[in-house]
Order: sequence, then C-alpha cells, then structure tokens
Amino acid sequence: MTANVAILGAAVLPVAKWQRPLDAELQILEHESLAKIVIEAVADSGIDKSEISSLAFAQPRPYTQQRYFATFIANYLRLPCTGAVQEVLGNGMTAALAFEAAANEIRLGRSRVALALGINWESAIPAVEHMMSSMRATGDVDFHAPYGFTPISWYAMDAARYIHEFKSSREELASVSVKNRRHASLNPIAQFRKPITLEEVLSQKPIVEPLGLYEVPPRGDGAACIVLVDEQIARASGKPYVRVRGRGFFHEGAHQISEVPNDMIALVSAQKAGEAAYAEAGVTASDIDLAELYAPCTIIEILASEALRLVPRGQGARLCAEGVTSLGGRMPICTSGGLQSRGHPAHVTPFYSFFEVYEQLTGRAGARQVANARLAVTSAELGNYNAAMVHVLEGVQ
Amino acid sequence: MTLAMLPIDRVRAFPPRMTEFTERFWRNLSTGRFETTRCENCDRFSFPPKPFCPHCWSRQVAWAPLSGRGKLYSQTVVHAAPSAFRDEIPYRVGIVDLDEGLRVATRVLADREPMLETSVEIVVLNYRDGPLFAARSVG
Repeated sequence: MTANVAILGAAVLPVAKWQRPLDAELQILEHESLAKIVIEAVADSGIDKSEISSLAFAQPRPYTQQRYFATFIANYLRLPCTGAVQEVLGNGMTAALAFEAAANEIRLGRSRVALALGINWESAIPAVEHMMSSMRATGDVDFHAPYGFTPISWYAMDAARYIHEFKSSREELASVSVKNRRHASLNPIAQFRKPITLEEVLSQKPIVEPLGLYEVPPRGDGAACIVLVDEQIARASGKPYVRVRGRGFFHEGAHQISEVPNDMIALVSAQKAGEAAYAEAGVTASDIDLAELYAPCTIIEILASEALRLVPRGQGARLCAEGVTSLGGRMPICTSGGLQSRGHPAHVTPFYSFFEVYEQLTGRAGARQVANARLAVTSAELGNYNAAMVHVLEGVQ
Repeated sequence: MTLAMLPIDRVRAFPPRMTEFTERFWRNLSTGRFETTRCENCDRFSFPPKPFCPHCWSRQVAWAPLSGRGKLYSQTVVHAAPSAFRDEIPYRVGIVDLDEGLRVATRVLADREPMLETSVEIVVLNYRDGPLFAARSVG
C-alpha cells in the first residue's frame, strides 16, 4: 500500500542577497546557512533526527564551491540515511522535483521521514554574467541564443501576445506586481516589503518590453527545508499538518517554443498537470482556497491562474486588477508576495511555495492568513511553462 | 527563392556551433537560401533541421526549401542582456510562424513596434564571421 505523504515541518531563510562578493574576506556560506534552516525545520516537526532516512536536495547553482553538496551536508549534519541521498535538477522546477523525490521515498515505503531541502546562492554573480549561463538553459544554444533571448524574454512575448489576443493592457498586468508587493509587506521572509503603487510599477525602467523592473523577478539567495513524513506519523503527532493530496506533471515535448505552432499562452502543461492533480485529489478548481504559483513575471501568474482554471481564460489580468486574486478576494493568489516580491532564488523557489502553503493551511500565516483555508494548489515550471508540476495540498488541523 | 541579404560589419556576439549535419543550413543561409529538413515518411517539416523526424522518428529526411514568409506571432525588446550582447541593447526579438507551419524565434528588424500577426519575411544577416537570420515586415 502506498503511504500518504504529509508536511509536518518547514523552515526557510528570508529571501535576500546573502552571498558576499567572492573576494570578501568573510563569506556567508551555503552549508552554514542551510544547516541552521534544517535544524529549525526538524525542530518545528517535532521529529527526532534519528528518524530521518532520506534527503532530496535541490542542486545548488554552479557558483556553489562545495560540490557533491548533498553528501557534504549528510556529513555536516551527521545524517546517516537508509533511503536515498540525492541532488535533483530540473531548471525552475528543481525544488518541486526534489519535493517529489523525497515524497516518493515515503510513498515507496523506503522512508517514513524524508527531507526536501536546498540552497540557491547566486546574487554575487552579476546579472549580465549569470544570463550568459541562463540564456543557454532557456533556449537552443545554436538556434536561439545567438539572437540574444534571455529567460524572461519568452515571458515578455507571452505578455505581448496576451495583450494582443485578449485586449488586455500593461496596466492590468502590472496590477499583479502591486498586489504581490502588498502581500509581501505582510510576509517577514519576503525580499521586498515596501508597498508600491501602479504608477511606480509603470515608471520603472524597461527590462523586456512591455515588462519593467518591478514586473520581473529580482535576484536573490534562499535556503529551505521541508520535512515530509508518512501521514501516520503526522496524525500521531497531534499537530496540524498538510497532506499531499494530488500531484500532476506534464511536459509538452517542446523547449521554449513548439516548432509546430500552437497557442503558446494557453500553458498546456499547466492545464494538463493541473487536471491530473485535481483528479488525483478528487477536487475541482472551485474547491481551491488559495494558490501559490511559480510565476517569475506578472504575465505568468495570469496565464498559470487561467490554465489551472482558478480564473476564466482571458480574464485573469482584469480580475487581478479588480482585486479578485488579492488577500480578501475570492481567489487569493501568491499570498507570499510571489516571485516579484517574496523573491526568486530559482533552484529553491518551489520550496518557498510549499512553505507558504504550509503556513496558510496550518493557520500560521499571521496577517496574511486566508480565513478557513483548507485546500491549496502550487505549481512549478520550467522554460516557458513547457513543463509544469502541480500539487494539491490539504490542511489537517 | 532567395532571401534578401544584409551585410553586418561585425562578428556575431554568440555564434552558433556547426555540425557536419547543420553546416549545410548555415552555408546555404549565407548565400540567401533558407531550408530545413522534411520527413519523407510523414511529410512534416522540422526546425531546426534534424537528421531524423522528431514526429515519427524516421531517418528518411530530405532538405527542403522554405519560403521565408510568415506572420509575427509575438515580439519583445530586450533591454537587460547577457554580457555578450551588451553592445547591442536594446534589440528586438520575436517569434515567427512560417507559412510551412513551422515556428521559429529570431531577431526582428523594425524601428517601431510591429503589429502582431503582421506579414514578415526572413532575411539573412551576413556578419563578418558568418550568417544569422532575422525577420522584417513585408513591404
């Protein structure tokens, strides 16, 4: 029998520019920062260290000097494991895949407690240098990169297409940034917390037209640890926990663009992964109380919320501008502040989504709390949502 | 059909690599010929050119000319670029749906923001060290 998986503890480092210049005499290093978070998360779960038997890491950025980081940490924290110790990589989806790798150890009965964890240190690498690497990830090195496509240039083209097809506007899209900053102002682990106005968003320098500085993700560093357990352990703990109720995945077999013309902004991967997750959970989109979406740019939050049927197709931007997806609205989206304001340490970003949902569904979200939240949906993606991983999570009090 | 050719007096910022298979594409492009592979089993075009068909996995593929005509599906202007492109910012890129039913991504040559769905043609950019291609409005 396949075990049910539950989140029983979690901790994250506030998203910030933690990494010091590479020539600074004193460094803030990955293993020390992550170890602190692991101990905090495990203490939160009430689990004894000896019960942990699998570790699934998000692979660090290539800038992390310590290689074989997973086994290094297994030593640093003295964590002998009988399940698996591994590092997972899947572009922007990396941390969601690590979460799944840890969950699978429990589903397969090989572990009763597994940690999904990782760190993303990159902010000391200048953006123009980091993009020399990331442009080779989000495009064909020989047939896209020579033209200068950057990772978010694909999202910008989604934005242009959305405005064209649905007669939307940059103003409507920019309302996502205002809303997410308002959410982040209530989130102690968010990177940017000072509220902003629509006028301020619109007056920022252009990055990839029509998107400006506040409509694209900032760069930052982060670390996270999620404690996953067999649900029997969670139930016996007597603590509130979060049950993993459904999961869906789809890769459309395309890298950035499909060579066969398709409806690029339908995000078919999110549609199909969402359908699978809802079906496994036995719920529909209308049952969902909040969503924490992987959306580096404003437009992507709109498109993903439409693809997951949280809002009707073509109306997401307008409904955001009208407050429907704000805290207090009918369908709160990215209550953490989202990737623009909570922050986007890419290889661990989906861990932060699980963390927000864990806080919301266990009633610990403070001023951000969605009243009576019971069901949440998360997404993670890679490329231009060429693949999506969707989870439906349920709070058990 | 031969594409218009524009000389560019500098080297490519991030030149594509060539293989024994793709060399023909780039060599022909530099003389104004735009072509790709087409499957002899299922008749479907493929881009970039491949030594097999990604749809049916047949290895029976042949080179076939492309018209170089299509419609602009989307576009953007990049202001924050990787270091290799810092001398070119801002620059316009886009996605073009070719008449043969292929979607490609490339530079877009336009002084003002072009309307989406506008008809475009592919042109050759002949840099000092080799070719790239780009799209521009027709007429």
